[in-house]
Order: sequence, then C-alpha cells, then structure tokens
Amino acid sequence: MRVRTRPSNPVTIHEMLNRSAYSGTYLVLGVVLLASLIASAGIGAFTFTPSEMVRYVGEGFGWIATTPSDTLNRNVFLQLRLPRVFLAALTGAVLGVSGTLMQGIFRNPIVEPGLAGTSAGAALGASLVFVFGTTSALARPLGSLAVPVMAFIGAFAATMLVYRVSTSFGKVNVFTLLLAGIAVNAVCGAGTGFLSYVARDPQARNITFWNLGTFTTADWRGVVMVAAAFAGCFAISVRHGKSLNALMLGEDEAAFLGAEPEKLILRLIIVNTVMVAVATAMVGVIAFVGLVIPHVLRMLKSSDYTFLIPASALLGAVMMSVVDIVARMIIPPAELPVGIITAVVGAPVFLWILLRQQRRGAASFYG
Amino acid sequence: MVEVVGASYRAGGNLILDDVTARFRRGRFNVILGPNGAGKSSLLKIATGLLRPSAGHVTYDGRSVRDFGPAELARRRAVLSQHVELAFPLPVRDVVLMGRYPHYGRSPGAHDVEIVDRALEMVGMLDRRAQHYPTLSGGEQQKVQLARVLAQIWSYDGASAHNYLFLDEPTASLDVHYQIHLLDVARELLAHECTVVAILHDMNVAFHYGDAFFLMEHGRLVKEADDARELSTELIERVFRVTARRIPDPAGGEEIWRFTL
Repeated sequence: MRVRTRPSNPVTIHEMLNRSAYSGTYLVLGVVLLASLIASAGIGAFTFTPSEMVRYVGEGFGWIATTPSDTLNRNVFLQLRLPRVFLAALTGAVLGVSGTLMQGIFRNPIVEPGLAGTSAGAALGASLVFVFGTTSALARPLGSLAVPVMAFIGAFAATMLVYRVSTSFGKVNVFTLLLAGIAVNAVCGAGTGFLSYVARDPQARNITFWNLGTFTTADWRGVVMVAAAFAGCFAISVRHGKSLNALMLGEDEAAFLGAEPEKLILRLIIVNTVMVAVATAMVGVIAFVGLVIPHVLRMLKSSDYTFLIPASALLGAVMMSVVDIVARMIIPPAELPVGIITAVVGAPVFLWILLRQQRRGAASFYG
Repeated sequence: MVEVVGASYRAGGNLILDDVTARFRRGRFNVILGPNGAGKSSLLKIATGLLRPSAGHVTYDGRSVRDFGPAELARRRAVLSQHVELAFPLPVRDVVLMGRYPHYGRSPGAHDVEIVDRALEMVGMLDRRAQHYPTLSGGEQQKVQLARVLAQIWSYDGASAHNYLFLDEPTASLDVHYQIHLLDVARELLAHECTVVAILHDMNVAFHYGDAFFLMEHGRLVKEADDARELSTELIERVFRVTARRIPDPAGGEEIWRFTL
C-alpha cells in the first residue's frame, strides 16, 4: 500500500516519542534513588554524615591520608554499611525488573518471583550448597560458582514448572498460576526447611534468612556478583520492551509483528531467573517487591514495557533502600528481616489487584 | 501474489489440511469460505507464515515465506484477528504504534508517528488516540486493531513492495455498522496494490465484498471461483449442510442468500 503522508505535526511527534516523554520520570526516580542511597548509607547503629562518607571513601581508595582515630568508623562504613547499601539497592532493582518481566511473560499483573516460585527455587538450590558444602560431589566441579549455579537451576526448574502448568494454547490461566505457585513454593520451602534443620553452617541454619530475606550478611563479594548478574540481564531485558508490548496482544499477534514469542519467552525466563537466583542466593527470598513496583509504575505513568523495564529498576532500588532503612530503625539495636516489611506493604496490594481483577475481568484491568 | 502450493497440515494425527493449492492474486479481495472445522484458519495461518505446513510451501511474489526474516515478513503482511483483549491499559496510539515495531529499532521515527495518525484517521479513531484501549467498546477496539495492521503494512511513498492483509474472521463480534466499515476500509486498500485474504462467515457479506472465492470442506479446497455466480446452490447446500435460496436484490445488487436447515 502506498499512501503519501502529509507534513508532520511537531506536537504529535513530541507526544509520541516515548523516550522523551519518559525521561522526566527517569530523572525524578534517579534523584530519589540517589537521595535514598545517601540516607541508607548514613542511617543506622552508626550514623555517618555525607562529608564523613566522602572522606572514608577517599581514604579507602588511598586518595587521602587516613586518620587513625577513625579506623573503626571507617571500617564499619566501608566493610559493612556500604556493601549493604549497594546490595539492597541492587536486589531491589533485580526484583523490580523481574516482576516487570514476569508480568510481561505471563501477561498478568499478579506475577512476581516470590509468588511464582522463582525465588523459592533459587533458595532451595542455594541452600543445598550451603548445607552439603562446596566440597561435596554436587558442588565441587562448580567451585566458587556453586551457589549461584545451583540457585539458578532451582529457580529455573520452579519457574518453568509454574509456566508450563499455568499455560495452555498460549493462554495463561491465572487461577492455575496461583495454585501452581503455591504448590512449588510449598515444596521448595519444605526442602529449604529440611536442609536448614540438618545444616551445620550457621547461615544455612538460619531459616529466617531464606524465608524473609536480610542484608545483614552483605559483603563486597555479594555486591559484585549481584551487580554483574543484574547488569548483564538488564542490558538484555531493555532490548525486549517492544516485544513484550507486542506480546500483550497474544502470542500469535506478537508473531505477526515479527516478535518470535517462543524464543522471547524462553530467553526472558532465563534472564529473569539468572538475576533472581543470584540475588536470592545472597539475601534470601524477598517477596512482593516485584509485584508492587510495576503496579505503582503502571498507575503513575504507563504500562509500556519500554518504560517499565528501566523505571522498575530505579523504583525497585529506591523501595528496597527505604525498606532496609526501616528494617534497621524499627526495633534498634535489633533488625527486622526485610521480607516482613515487604510483605506488610505488598500483600494488601496483591489482594487489591486480585479483587479488582475479579471484579472487572482481566481485560479492563487498570482501565 | 501469495501462493500456497500443495500444503498439508497434520496435528495430533489428524489431517487438518490436505494438499491445498491456492493463489491469492494481487489487488484482489480473496475470500476463504467454508463450514467450521474445514481448515480455513489453518490455511490462513500457513499462508501468513505462522504455521509451517507438513508438506507443501508458501511463496510471496515467488519468494518462499521461509526466506523472510521475522521483521521483514512483518513489514510485508499484517494479520487482523477476531478480537484482541489487553490485560493492561495502553493508550490507543501506543497500540497502533505496535504496527510500526517491525519498521524501527529503539524509538519511532517522525514518519512512524505520522503513519499512526494517518491510520487512525483512516478508521475514524484519530480523536480517540489518547484514550485507553480497554475502555473502548468491542467495535472501537477492532477499529484500533485495524489501524494497527494498516500502520504495519503502510509503506512510505514510492516503495515498490506489495503488501498483504489477512483477515481472520475480523467481523465475528461486530455489529453491522462496524462490519461494513471494516470491510469498506479493507476494500480501499486494493487501490493501493494491497492483496486482501479474508475468512468470512456471512455469505452475503462475502459475496458483496469478495473478488475471488475459495470454498473449503474437510481440509480440502473444493471450489475456486472468481465470481459468486460460479458457486452453485447445490454446492453451498452440500458443504454447509443447509437449504439455500437465492433471491434477486430489488435494488439491483447481488443476489441475496437465505438459508434454512
């Protein structure tokens, strides 16, 4: 078909070029993230002012001469606080993006790694290594990658199981999806519980760690691993925003638009599983973040995945940083597991989405 | 021209399509007719390249459909299905912009944006461009989907490629106004060297809009006709298991078909 188009209208173009329409939101989220990172670095059993932070970082890199009287503060800041701040933000970004990807894959707003079994599968895989040790026949060939690799295997098996059970003829049955998620979570939870019970490793023994998540064990090694997993997976995910949008129309329609849905879904399940598995192996299962973040962004701005993927990374990082601050402040000097806070915030949101979906039918959701 | 040559399709041990050869010629409104389960949808899915036939092949202007990359194929042919629901709210313009996805990389160009507006204008939905898709009526949603597939095969001026529009029972849930509107728009495309292939159930609508007819029964093509008059009453009665009467249109149009059991 040939149709000569008329001269373009500049207002229309500005409206339609989504990247520029979303850049304001990215900027706001970026500023809020920076503020919450600084707050998270400063607040806690030890408080640090921004000028102290700058000085300790400078000393840590050897840019400025160290002050001996500050050794304790500096070590606390550099070895305990800072890795924790980054690990929390990165985990939030992982969970936010994961929720967005899974909602895109399952074409439903009630999916997230905690509910669909991905996190629980990762925890089971990781706890196997913790309990049987890295020297066992199972883990030895993998070396230092044993924990993330086993976490990935567990998470991938759990996710694929839930996806296969809940999907038939290219359509996702929400009811089956929820039940399959419950079943897979229960099995993985029982497995992790059993392993915690027989474990000698104090971290593996701590069932709370696996079920509710915590950042108290944060170290730089964990930060580097989660950062690497997130960076790679995020770089792949952002390139599939258009395809996830097309998938909203259904698998056939997406294929007619050139999107190769089967490859897309498999690729994104793998990408999603890699980053969730690595994060879960480091901090345990943290539910509901992946549910709340895309939901808030859809309400605030748009359901366009080219926007949701980067924005959910930013907002996820913000939310997790704030939740971690609350976890440190609420019952000092003890700490609350972060999963308790995310559940208190997220479970009502989950119920609310479920109610609306039931009342209006999935088709007109958010409409 | 879209050629389906010797296409068979098996699924679960059943022969859904049995050695079908059909040529959908350029600039025509090709209509596939047949009762439920005759294999119409499978034929359409094979012709669009979505399904790979168990035997036989499909060519677009002589080039095998398998030689096209997914995006390249998507720039040449678009498919409008029955009814597309969205679980998430997107503005109408974002839905239509999806039709341009095969044409751009990360962000739409100015002409993609322009084409979205022209396509919406063509279906009379330009003033609803900012409205959320799930809040539209079924008929309006189908207009938006039509605009999306129009945007998909909209070539910028001077392009020599010929494009194809497939319609899979596009009017199934539409009231008579939306049915006529959609098919009128589809007919307009013929003037732009576009080939239309449609599955239609309403025989009167099919005979009014179609230029070529492909009658299917039990996975086989039983009759190909360039004129509705070539389809005998007896054949229609047998294939659809009905009793048919043809009544002359008092206003001088095509014959009107009446069916009883």
